[in-house]
Order: sequence, then C-alpha cells, then structure tokens
Amino acid sequence: MDWAKYRTTTFDELIQADGQPRPAARRLVEYLGGLSGREIAERQLAADVIAKVMGITFTVYSDGRNVDRTLPFDLIPRVIPRTEWIRTEAGLKQRMRALNLFIGDIYGKQQIVKDKVFPAMLLKDSVNFRQQCVGIKPPLGVWAHICGSDLVRDGDGTLYALEDNLRIPSGVSYMLENRMVAKRVFPELFETSSILPVDEYPSQLYDTLAALSPRPGDTPVIALLTPGVFNSAYFEHAYLAQAMGIELVEGNDLFVADDDCTYMRTVYGAQRVDVIYRRVDDLFIDPEVFHPESVLGAPGLMRSWRAGKVALANAPGAGVADDKVVFAYVPKMIKYYLDEDPILPNVPSYLCHNAKERKYVLENIEKLVVKPANESGGYGMLIGPRSTKRERDKFKKLIEADPRNYMAQPTLSLSTAPIVTDEGPSPRHLDLRPFVLSREDIYVTTGGLTRVAMEKGSLVVNSSQGGGAKDTWVVDLDEEAD
Amino acid sequence: MLSRVADNLYWFSRYVRRAENTARLVGVGSLLQLDLPRSVRFAWRPMVDTVGAGDAFAELFPSSGDDATDAEVVRFLLLDERNSSSLRSSVDAAREILRGIRDTLPQEVWEAINDLYLYIEANGERGVSRRYRLEFITRIADGCLKVSGLLTANVSRDIGFQFLRLGTAIEQADMTTRIIDAGASGLVTPRNEDDREAFQNMQWMAVLRSLAAYQMYRRHVRQRVTAEHALRFLLQNNEFPRSVQFCLARAQHVLPTMPARPGVDRGLNRVVGLIRNADPASLAAKNPAGFMDEIQVHLGTFNAALADGYFRG
Repeated sequence: MDWAKYRTTTFDELIQADGQPRPAARRLVEYLGGLSGREIAERQLAADVIAKVMGITFTVYSDGRNVDRTLPFDLIPRVIPRTEWIRTEAGLKQRMRALNLFIGDIYGKQQIVKDKVFPAMLLKDSVNFRQQCVGIKPPLGVWAHICGSDLVRDGDGTLYALEDNLRIPSGVSYMLENRMVAKRVFPELFETSSILPVDEYPSQLYDTLAALSPRPGDTPVIALLTPGVFNSAYFEHAYLAQAMGIELVEGNDLFVADDDCTYMRTVYGAQRVDVIYRRVDDLFIDPEVFHPESVLGAPGLMRSWRAGKVALANAPGAGVADDKVVFAYVPKMIKYYLDEDPILPNVPSYLCHNAKERKYVLENIEKLVVKPANESGGYGMLIGPRSTKRERDKFKKLIEADPRNYMAQPTLSLSTAPIVTDEGPSPRHLDLRPFVLSREDIYVTTGGLTRVAMEKGSLVVNSSQGGGAKDTWVVDLDEEAD
Repeated sequence: MLSRVADNLYWFSRYVRRAENTARLVGVGSLLQLDLPRSVRFAWRPMVDTVGAGDAFAELFPSSGDDATDAEVVRFLLLDERNSSSLRSSVDAAREILRGIRDTLPQEVWEAINDLYLYIEANGERGVSRRYRLEFITRIADGCLKVSGLLTANVSRDIGFQFLRLGTAIEQADMTTRIIDAGASGLVTPRNEDDREAFQNMQWMAVLRSLAAYQMYRRHVRQRVTAEHALRFLLQNNEFPRSVQFCLARAQHVLPTMPARPGVDRGLNRVVGLIRNADPASLAAKNPAGFMDEIQVHLGTFNAALADGYFRG
C-alpha cells in the first residue's frame, strides 16, 4: 500500500499533516506499506467473506422482501492512543453520571427546572418525556443503563460529543465482530502491538442487567425483547442474546399476570422474568399505556415495571435526555449536578427556541447543520453547505413553524481516516460510537464502533445511508513490544 | 424453551418434510405419466387435492382444471405462491420461520435452507419443464434430506430437538396418508375396463415410489404390489420410517421426554388406535379415502392439543 500520495484536507486519524504516521498508528501504517496492492485486495476479500460467513448483517426491507445486507467493512483500523482514550473515557463517564441524575431529577423533584438551569418549556414540549414515569425510582437510580454516545473530531483535532443515544442505541455487535474480523486478517499486528481488547462487553452488559434484578440473590432470568426479524437490528439482538446466554423474546412471548410480575411463555409453562433488555421503543412496549395497537410489547409491562417486579433497560422515559435540544444543556447539567467542568466538549449548538439563536440560524443556515430534536439515523436533517436553496427555504419554514423541535450546529470539518480503494488509500470522514454501561460504577467500551462514510466527501456515516465500519484500536504505546 | 421457539421448531421441521414429500409426489406423477400408454388418461387433479390445494386450484382453473396443461399443474404444485402447500411455499415458510430462530439451530441449517430457496428462485421455472423436472425434484429432495441430516447429526438432544423430531414424524404420517389418498383416488383412468387392475397396481407402485418405499416394500413383503399389501405396508409397518405406524410410534417415544400434557397423549393415542385397528383388506376393497381423511382430522386434533399444551405457554 503506497502512502506517498495520501493527503487529506482535515485532521486525519492515522496520518499527520506532514505525511508521517501518528505515533500510535506507526506500526500499522508501516505494516500496510509493506503489503502489495494485491495482498491488500486479498485481505479485503477475506474480511468480506468472513463477515458474510459470520452473518454480520442488517436487514433492509425492500421490494416486499427482507434482504440481509452486510455492513461494508473497511480493512484499515482506526487507531486511538491510550493516553487520549483515558481522557475520553473519563469524559463519557462524567456525561453519563450527569445524564442519569438529570433524568431522575426530571421524573422526580425537577430541581434543575426550579433552579432555572433547564427551561420548563423544553420539558413541556418534549416528545420523549413520559408522564407515566413521574415519581418512579428505578434500581440504583439509573435510567439509561446502555448509552451509545457519538463523538466526532473537528479539523483542529478536538474530540466533541455530538449526541447521546439513550433510547435503544445499536451497533455494538458490529464493534465486536469487526474485531473478530481484524484479528483474523491481521494476526501479526495483534501479536506485536498492544491493542486493547474489546470482547468484555457482553459480560459487562450481562452484569449491568443482572444488577437490576428485583430478586437479588437468585440467578436472575434475563430476556432481550426484540421487535422481531423485521427489525433492521435483529442480527444484533440475536447476537447479544446468544453472547450473554439470555432468552431472545418477542412481545407475544411475554405477559403480565395479576400479581404484576412479568412472565415468559415456555413449554414448561409460565416462567418469571426479572430483567428485560428491551430493544423496542418506549411507545411500543405496553399497549395498555402507549400505542394501543402495538404488538411489539406486552400489555401491563409498565404496570409490572412501576411495581418494581421487572426491571427494564433502558428505563422507559430515559429518552427525555436523548433529544438534540436537551443535548445542548449537558455541559450545564455537568456543572449543576457534579460541580465539575465538562471533560468532553459539546459540539456548539444553536437552539431555535431561543429568539437570538434562531435569528443566527436563519441568517447563517447555509453554514450550519440543522437537525430536528428527535430524529435518529441521520434522517430529517439539513447539511447547509451541501444544500440547495429550495431545501434551505423548506427548513427555514420548518424552523419558524416549530422552533422547539430544531437545533443547529456548525458544519464541522470532520476528521478522516484512510480506507482501501482501487486507487490506494483514500480519506473518508468518520465518527466514533463508544458504548457506556451504567450500574453502580460505569463501564465504557475500549474505543467503540467507528462508522465511516464510504462515499468520498460524504459526512453521513449511518449504516442506513451507505455508511460502513472499521475496527477501532486503542493502542497502548508504553506497552508496545519492540 | 420459549413456547414460540418450540412452535417454530415444530413447524420448521414439518415444512421441510412437507417440501420433500411434495417434490417426491410430483416426481412420481411425472414418472407415471411416462409409463402409461396413450389409451390411459393421467389425472393430476387428485394430487392437487392430496396436498389440500383443491380450492386454490379451482379458483385458478375454474372449469375443474381439465383444461390445465401438465406444465400449469406442475407449476401450481411446485412454484405457485398462491398455493400455500406448493413446494416453494413450504420452503419459503421454513426459511421465514428459521430467520426468527436462527440462534437456536446451527448456522449450516440456515445455509442449507437458504441454498434450497435460492435454487428454487434460480431454477424453478426450468424445473417445471419435462426435460429438467426430475433433476430439479431430486435436487430438492436431496436438499431437504440434507437439512434433516444436519439436524440429526449436529443438534443437541435438548427439548427443542424433541419438537423437531415430533414435527418430522407428524408431517410424514400426514403426508403418507395424503399420498395414499392420491393413489387411491385414481391418478389413471383406463379407457378399457379390463386394464383396470393392471393399471391400479401400477398406481400403487407409484405411491410406494413417491414415499421412497418401493425397495423396502419388496424386502419386507416379497409379494407383488396390490392395494391391500401396499396399504398394510404404508399404514402399519413397524420398520419403514415413512409408514404411519412408525411415525406415530416415534412421536410416542418423544412425548415422555417433554413436560406431561395428558391432552396431547390422548390425541396421539387416538390416532395410534385407529391405525392399529385398520383393516387393509377392507380398506382396499372400498375406497380408503374416507379413512385417510379421518386420520388427517385426528392428526389435526392432535396438533391443536399440542398447540394448547406447549405453544401458548
């Protein structure tokens, strides 16, 4: 692989501006440099085959049929030095502590609103605020047990928090499988470099879930609730259930009895369930309380949860903090609840409900990324510098009609990393999604899922929109063997 | 074991076995057709009724199907998605079920089913033509047996496996009665009354062949094929794995390994009794169709008891 011509106009994760590899990536870059184009192509092919055989897929519904697609996997790992990761991990833990305190406060005394740090108006209009959760005190005071936070790096090298996915974040199975693939393709590098392992996640997740059991002492019965095979993340649901040795259940497998306990229907009869890792959105988990036509959940589940007979992860209502407008207040939350300065900065945000900031957004829309508060998957947003006048006019109208629901951020010059192309290594934009597990202590994955836009120049990394993935290496330079 | 998963395992193995039998049935019809002289008329229609697709067929070919060509009927039996018992429908159903329980069965099973599915997608239309039909059918039957083989060789004997075994046994018992039914309903009608017996025996030979039973029949029975002997062999033989008796005995072995459900045992014992007390000679003398229907109805009742006992939870 020839690095001589590799150039990028922004911060690159592997290569410095002078064309030299960053210290943590030096071994990797040299190693790849020693491989011929043909050897690279062979390894890319091997990686694709392994991914296919292992069944690393996501499901796309098209032409009335389900199609399993493999997530494009790029061979070249993204490298993060351990020194930087220690700081990032601390920043993520700090965010999670503040976010869980915030959610608990919102469904409790709402002190942060009374103290005028967080505007009451935002709460009133939040589509993710669940009245049914008010007054509930979930085990350990944790609401968001599993969080996937998206981090991006700007052109100057600063790592920012872009959003915190507190509802049903996905992608962790790709992180685990990408590592399996990388190990098979680069066994030599794993022998000589100090690449920190990631495979602890399923055990950590299991412990996080088990800690919630309403029947401490016993071996808890834990189930993963999936919307079913038609869900795009079904592969991940099955993968995690298998990796943890827990039941993979659908709504119809569960029922809530008169004793408020939740049971699974088994061939032996009803079996009580203690903890449910639900991968079904809040609004569909209980037709008695939310969407009455939902068949994805189980009638009475909220009753069971409120009675403390079953634990739900994430807790219903946790999404109140997963809102791109609420996101802008995280630094204030950290200050308010923890009396600390944020370790990880937020991507600067302009909130359209604030008249002054709205005016700025409307006047500078062509420079900004405009996002609706509650969409995920990269849908419904406007990338100013790439937009047409017509699109911008449409968004201006949307913002004026519903300012609470919109926020804008400057268009970052997202960092890049090289991917394998027919023309040699070529830079592509990427982000990073570490997964954070909260129980009494907080666990952060080593690195996370690196999502990469496979299309040249594209800033959209979502798998639903043509994004791919890379393995993510946190490298300990002090431990490197010479 | 979740009730839904048990339900799916049971039906997965039923659909795989159904697909195999459907392929065999069409294969034998095709062979029989080739053996018959021009003076004898071959009717596909009883086969359509056999697989329980009479109504769907009547809707597509309203004038009782007489005008339907050989290719049209075979396409209906093998490929038509409007026919819920077509080969394709069975394979699709098995595959869709498996999609939801992929974590329960070995990866190779998924690959084998997917392979069948892709093969039908790619070669189905070609397989309808007379030239390639037998090749197509053989490949399908082999593919189904590969799935059975993988299940037998590679799946742990836990309770889930018992549901797989039960599904295969019940489906085979059911299909065997249906194939007997088709044979007895007269696939061929000789124009000359004197030829009737000769052609009927040919028909029973075809029935045995479609159940891969001809060779075993020869070894066990050592008499030429007649309706009475064939019926006795296919209903009551204790050693041939596709005989109804054998399948029910297998189901009787499985039930004690599962949580006790008296209703399920009762349902099965009723069918076992019927088969044990059947008199092949008198069945052969009149039309056995009524008896076969009775067995199928009781298998349906057993099925309902099974669903009540295990699949609702």
